[in-house]
Amino acid sequence: MPAGMKPLEKFLKKQTTALSRAGGFGDKATGTGASRRRASLSRVVGLPFFRETSPESGPAREVFSPDTEEAPCWPSATADIRSPSLSSDEQSSEASLDTNWTPLPPDTPDNLAQALLDSVAGKRFGNCTEILLDDFMLTHPIFLASDKFQQFLLQQFSPEGPSGEGWPGWEGSERKQAVLSVAFRYLDTYRELLQEEGERSNSFPKDLYLCAVQELSQYPELVEDVLKLQRWTEILHNPTEEEKECRKKQVRPLFRHFRRIDACLQPREAFRGSDEIFCRVYTPDHSYVTIRSRLSCRVGEILALVKEKLQYSEDQPVQPGNLVLVAVTSAGEKAVFRPSDEAVFTTLGVNTHLFACEPSELETLMPLPEEIHWSPGDSKLHDMSAEEVANQLVVFDWELFSCVHEVEFVCYVFHGEQSRWRPLNLELILQRCSEVQHWVATEILQCQSLPKRVQLLRKFIKIAALCKQQQDLLSFLAVVLGLDNPAVSRLRLTWEGLPGKFRKQFQQFESTADPSRNHKSYRDLMASLRPPLIPFTPLLLKDLTFLHESCKTFHGELVNFEKMHKVAEMVRTIRRYRSSQLAVEAEPSPSHLQTKAYVRQLQVIDNQNLLFEMSCKLEPKDM
Amino acid sequence: MPEQSNDYRVVVFGAGGVGKSSLVLRFVKGTFRESYIPTIEDTYRQVISCDKSICTLQITDTTGSHQFPAMQRLSISKGHAFILVYSITSKQSLEELKPIYEQICQIKGDVESIPIMLVGNKCDETSGREVESPTGEAVSKRWKCAFMETSAKTNHNVQELFKELLNLEKRRTVSLQIDGKKNKQQKRAEKLKGKCVVM
Repeated sequence: MPAGMKPLEKFLKKQTTALSRAGGFGDKATGTGASRRRASLSRVVGLPFFRETSPESGPAREVFSPDTEEAPCWPSATADIRSPSLSSDEQSSEASLDTNWTPLPPDTPDNLAQALLDSVAGKRFGNCTEILLDDFMLTHPIFLASDKFQQFLLQQFSPEGPSGEGWPGWEGSERKQAVLSVAFRYLDTYRELLQEEGERSNSFPKDLYLCAVQELSQYPELVEDVLKLQRWTEILHNPTEEEKECRKKQVRPLFRHFRRIDACLQPREAFRGSDEIFCRVYTPDHSYVTIRSRLSCRVGEILALVKEKLQYSEDQPVQPGNLVLVAVTSAGEKAVFRPSDEAVFTTLGVNTHLFACEPSELETLMPLPEEIHWSPGDSKLHDMSAEEVANQLVVFDWELFSCVHEVEFVCYVFHGEQSRWRPLNLELILQRCSEVQHWVATEILQCQSLPKRVQLLRKFIKIAALCKQQQDLLSFLAVVLGLDNPAVSRLRLTWEGLPGKFRKQFQQFESTADPSRNHKSYRDLMASLRPPLIPFTPLLLKDLTFLHESCKTFHGELVNFEKMHKVAEMVRTIRRYRSSQLAVEAEPSPSHLQTKAYVRQLQVIDNQNLLFEMSCKLEPKDM
Repeated sequence: MPEQSNDYRVVVFGAGGVGKSSLVLRFVKGTFRESYIPTIEDTYRQVISCDKSICTLQITDTTGSHQFPAMQRLSISKGHAFILVYSITSKQSLEELKPIYEQICQIKGDVESIPIMLVGNKCDETSGREVESPTGEAVSKRWKCAFMETSAKTNHNVQELFKELLNLEKRRTVSLQIDGKKNKQQKRAEKLKGKCVVM
């Protein structure tokens, strides 16, 4: 969890933990209300079953025994584990719930890749190929390094390759087309990420292209695919010079100090690891230097830049020695980074700052002071209608949500385990969620006039209602959680000033945020919605994390593909949420632009202690 | 540490490469480096103490390029004193200070009460001189501000620059007390108002 995210953590912490259920998983776990129970997989000893190819092999489900004492402890699919984010409606449309569907048994990465090719070539799995392909595409980085996978495809394509096993009775053309089909799917899915990798990966389409070109005389039907490969080679290998220059010169605004209004008002673009940003790094006395760095930068490099700026030279009497990079939250909590940590900028809480100091200075590091703008009641927010604000919140959330690549959801959870790519845009959504929560509290607590404060409450409740109406559950719940902040909820007089109907409505909203019974209220709400919708992302990630931690990815050398399938299912759910686009508003009026700029440049206080102090000033204890 | 209404904020402006960072770092850290690292925006804080309270000298070193006009405007509006640096080896760099001076006038209104120091840096580069001292002085007269030539490299006039700048501040009493010795007059003045000294 990023530093400074405590309030969210609290919300997500309370839940029934299936993990603590007696007996762990396996045949004991029945779950509540689990209508279907997927057969747990027994380990097929010996030859991978699927190696014997016969066109009629089809779904040879009989092999799997429902229960077994020898089975490794993988969870059977209970409703809790399988479908936390799926609405019941969506579930039934999934082939995986079809009792005929059985995911691949555990196997080595290579064999799984082989099985994939077989399937794509129509040799196995019938109408489940698409799902298998999608599963594989979304999750393979977890168990099969990119370059290994690329090599595998190249090998399978070339005729002289170690092709013998598994492909008897295949036409060369069939096999090649299967390889190409998978390759294109792979390129489509990972395009931006491969572009990021530059030299390392962008030669893949070229290599494949060269192989394919050689075969053209023998397999003229491949010509279209060959042309496609050529285009891919260009896309990856030679971004237009202009594009390159453009991306290079532009420094993207990430941190508040460097935001430019004009950039703010533009539709948000996804951040990439190679994007450059400016960032302030502070020293213990609150001096700071501004460095320019790639988003994906290693902490060690950041420190080198800082040292350079601070002009540590050899002729100094005391060498700085080890500088460490620390994230300090507004409340003074500290998290020290390791030099090898990467892409730390997007993991910071809203008012968390980076400090560079010597290890001996860590103890005494003080957070930066936060500015309070006491207002008698006329915050900018008063001039904006709830509708305008809600609209802008929703539009912005959609931009942020759309920036998140599907693979980021997988990366986030399998972080550090094989993840070459950082879930930057996903982390920014989490940050936004925290920002909105604290914005609500900050606005209310900076308002000194009681009647105006009551008005603000009304406005926020209205904003929440509108977000909910527009199916933006991210801002909806963030606003609700903001109003639930203890510093806000203790303002008895303010809440008492609310008309009854607003209080009632808010109570209903609060119950949606109720985490009991594994967030049942929220899940019920989700179940009733149709896309397009924005889920409450922190909970989504918690579900993914739970899935990840509740069962093993590997059992020895074999990959638990059933788990991969479940992960992919969750990603497909997210895909459905975004399957239709939100209608973009027409030319915004000048007042809309003001609101838009305001919503995208929120200034918040996220120091809970300070918020509490402010609250006590407004309504002293024991009034 | 409360946010500092008793901070004393000095902002350093000037074209790229004239030596703003070198001057600041020479003053703050006592070091000098030949290599050029373009600044984006850095701020150095130095605690100075008054009789009755603590305040902090805050020196903001800005970018020579014009990437952040909003940031520039913000520094000007929040700043208490300004150092406008050019290099004596570049006529162009003196020219480039004009719009900055104008912006300060625009934002601050009355610049006569604001300490502004025009600085001709790199005065050690005698062979490369393009701007003669009288020229710099003339500009400073026109702008009704102070003038000094410095060299961060040889550490010429660097301490003096900041000391003088603080002396120009009439709205309150801030100063760097280097030798700790005060004359009778200063002592008497001190009795009447609090005096800030370097800790």
